[in-house]
Amino acid sequence: MIEIKNLSFARGNNLIFQNVSFVVKPNELVVLKGANGQGKTTLLSNIVNFLEPLEGEILYHGKSVDGHTASQCFLYIGENNFAYDNLSLNENIKYWLAIHNVNFSQEIRDKSINFLFGELNLKLRFYQLSYGQKKKLQLLLLMLVNKPVWVLDDPFNGLDQDTINKITSLLSRKLEDDGIILISSHKDISIPNHSIYELK
Amino acid sequence: MIKNFLKLVKNEFTLMLRGSVFTIVLYSLLLIAASIFSLALRHVSFDIEIAIAFLWVIIFFISLIKVEKVYATDFSESKLQQYILSPFALEIVVFLKNIMIYFNLLFLFIIFSPIILIILGIQLSYLLPINILLALSLLSIIFISSMTASITISKNNKLSITSVLTLPLFIPILIVSMALTDVVDFQLNKMYLFFVAYFLLNLAFSPLLTSFALKKLSV
Repeated sequence: MIEIKNLSFARGNNLIFQNVSFVVKPNELVVLKGANGQGKTTLLSNIVNFLEPLEGEILYHGKSVDGHTASQCFLYIGENNFAYDNLSLNENIKYWLAIHNVNFSQEIRDKSINFLFGELNLKLRFYQLSYGQKKKLQLLLLMLVNKPVWVLDDPFNGLDQDTINKITSLLSRKLEDDGIILISSHKDISIPNHSIYELK
Repeated sequence: MIKNFLKLVKNEFTLMLRGSVFTIVLYSLLLIAASIFSLALRHVSFDIEIAIAFLWVIIFFISLIKVEKVYATDFSESKLQQYILSPFALEIVVFLKNIMIYFNLLFLFIIFSPIILIILGIQLSYLLPINILLALSLLSIIFISSMTASITISKNNKLSITSVLTLPLFIPILIVSMALTDVVDFQLNKMYLFFVAYFLLNLAFSPLLTSFALKKLSV
């Protein structure tokens, strides 16, 4: 369970959000909504311990979230792509799965890669791919990195309906496995029983 | 974990190879700078120390530029976020990248060094001692440069200026490198141990400070 208690954050003298409090339980998905500049990405960055809040605290199973907890339990997928343009798609897959210490068998890896990329030539350099194809590398982490909490910043942005459906099915499966999911999104999500937290 | 670490090393090596073009450009600039230096001083006779001092200063700049270039791309915000949440400590990633930059710069220097020495008018008998000297001192140079780069690439421009505070750390390397050129024909002696000791000192705190600066300033 993640508890966010009276969280406030400021950049210099600019207060981004104030007194944010909510709870996300296992098997629950919370969608952060709000206009641009309301601090959705900043709030997610606070939750995964990239940024230190001005006030308040973030608890995971009753303990304050520190760097160690974040690296052990949280998977964060941001808006921007993290892959190396001068590596091929295949090399990027190997690199980022190694960085996250993914230990699944080659067969499971190949199935996941095939599910997401289909017939796409994996030897293509990353800069040769389209935005949507690049985004799928992030989704591969969702499939293969085994962490209980997913924090996703606008995961549906710029994707076609087929890919959105794939993400939705991944989210549903994660919830069935008692996962905790936090998403910031401007789009409506077709997963039943999710809650919405509106940043004002 | 060890298997994935080895994969990581392999991929960092690939990244290093793909980044060699930039290093070649930097060494080509060194060749041009060395040519201008030699042409400008063609009527003046100078000892080997002057030429080596020039070479070392340029190597400092090349290292700084290379490390900063690698850090600016490899530690962009989105990549850094993944590194921070990785089971591997950021210090390990920093260490690996520094070592790969070291091999990249050293290997290409060994290739370019005969031409550089000819242009600077240094006898080719000094080729091996100069390469050994560089191999030993470059490790420290890279690790100090990584601290400089981690501050320079920060999001906060005002803080970037504090990176100049790391520059005095280069001075001992320059002093000892120059002192070594005075020692009987540049032969291997105990002064070389200074570089090993200085590298170990840098190794103790540089990855920690670099990753701390990256986490605090660039995310």
